[in-house]
Amino acid sequence: MKRFGTDITFILPAFAVFTLFLVVPVLSGFYYSLTDWNGLNPETRFIGLDNYIRLFNDSDVGNAIRNTLLIAVCLTIVKNALGLTLALGMQGTGKIQRIMRVWYLVPVMLSALAIGYIWAYVYSPSDGVLNTLLEAFGLDGLARDWLGDSRLSIYSVIFVSVWHFVGFTMIIYVAGLQSVPSDVYEAAYLDGAGKWSMFKNVTFPLIAPSFTVNIVVNMIVGIKVFDTIFVMTNGGPGTSTENLSILLYRQAFAFDRMGYASSIAVIMFMIILIFSMIQIFALRKREVEH
Amino acid sequence: MALRERNGWLLSLILALWAVIVLVPILIALFVALKTPEQLLGGPLSLPTAFEWSNFSEAWKKGMMGTSLVNSVVISVSAVILIILLSSAAAYPLSRRKKKWATATYLYFLSGMMIPFQMAMIPLYKLLSQLNLIGKFAGPVLIYIALGLPFSVFLYTAFYKSIPQEIEESALIDGCGPYRTFGSILFPLLKPVTSTLLIMNTLTIWNDFFVPLLFLQSKSSRTIPLSIYSFTGEFVNQWNLIFAAVIIGSLPLVLLFLVLQRQFVQGIASGAVKG
Repeated sequence: MKRFGTDITFILPAFAVFTLFLVVPVLSGFYYSLTDWNGLNPETRFIGLDNYIRLFNDSDVGNAIRNTLLIAVCLTIVKNALGLTLALGMQGTGKIQRIMRVWYLVPVMLSALAIGYIWAYVYSPSDGVLNTLLEAFGLDGLARDWLGDSRLSIYSVIFVSVWHFVGFTMIIYVAGLQSVPSDVYEAAYLDGAGKWSMFKNVTFPLIAPSFTVNIVVNMIVGIKVFDTIFVMTNGGPGTSTENLSILLYRQAFAFDRMGYASSIAVIMFMIILIFSMIQIFALRKREVEH
Repeated sequence: MALRERNGWLLSLILALWAVIVLVPILIALFVALKTPEQLLGGPLSLPTAFEWSNFSEAWKKGMMGTSLVNSVVISVSAVILIILLSSAAAYPLSRRKKKWATATYLYFLSGMMIPFQMAMIPLYKLLSQLNLIGKFAGPVLIYIALGLPFSVFLYTAFYKSIPQEIEESALIDGCGPYRTFGSILFPLLKPVTSTLLIMNTLTIWNDFFVPLLFLQSKSSRTIPLSIYSFTGEFVNQWNLIFAAVIIGSLPLVLLFLVLQRQFVQGIASGAVKG
């Protein structure tokens, strides 16, 4: 019993802060989603599922869900494809590999805000870096209003997010690749495996844990993106880059619809929950122990 | 054999191309920060002819970046230290006791990894106003701790399991109490995980924009990202000032990273793959 008392003193501080500043707010978020709380009026009414009914008829919400999923899926695919490619080129402990690893990681150190500004400048239509470069190479035809064109803007934003964090995805793959014992490669090589079949049959199954981490983490990060969009387009032009995070922020702090915004937050939470469950179960099965 | 060589060539090309794509925007931001407004008209690709270092001092003054720098340091350092202390302490009994309550508490902490901050944001706003913590550092620090705990508890718990229990048993026999055993024997052994968490939490908190945007709006309490953000409203399109501010705000972490890059790469690697 005395040992249990000591255990409590070890756990309690973390438990208290976690409960008070994350769990309780999340639970009250569920409650607020059932009210018409507007942030100013102290009188809040319980309105049952009204917010959710409104939400399903709100075209802004449908649009935001589509954008959120598009961003999350594109980010996850591109970051993993590029991150794995970079990691494959980074194998080995040579000096060049070490320098390149650090080089690719520099954007990870910058804030999404700083990166948003840098890329807003790169993308700007008339005197932007990208269009000027294209013109310099005689590719004027490819110059675009990268953030102002409502069909393009979402992809421009996705690219910036890839640029920001692909180094992180790469490092996780580098670690996974290093954990593959070299005798496995040698055995496969002696059996006459080609490079592609070596990757497919030997490397990939063995780096499956890093693959799981990278898919799940990037998906969750992709669903939550806020800063980059907020600085670069603030959801525009129109609502072409508005995802759930941006919509939620606008509903809560521009329109003071706290109850309604809470119901959007619940939807976002559900999406994250469903995706992480599917991914963890589906991907864990493919992993092999070594 | 031919295929293999072509693949190698293609891989090198992609690697080199991405290195350029990473470098160019950063380099251009650096150039712009050194230009005068007149030079800016010369196009984004022109090199700065005379270095306009005064952009930095002007951005420093107008953005009150000295104050924000101090605020960012105070908030990040206190939140990160507390995350590490609280999570390493909590993970200790959670990893050692084979009881139902220990597993349940561990899963309770873990569930926090799936929660988007947006879900807690609105109630937190209400909670902090009731506690009169809007505009004070304590609010964001407590939120950062709550957000940082799940992953930190998770990593520490995994690591404790690799430390043999005999170490603390012999310490107990020698008359060392549980708190001293933790503080002077176990905690130093946790160093690999501690350095991973130190870096990852500092990175997240230093660069965070959302929490200060909600809770630290005033000029005297704002952090670096908010200070950079303030340039949009007041100095629209003064790119040289904005980028000077961006560089001032990013430099501390980039320098820290360059110094600690070896630990950083190994830390993320071991942390992430075990996770």
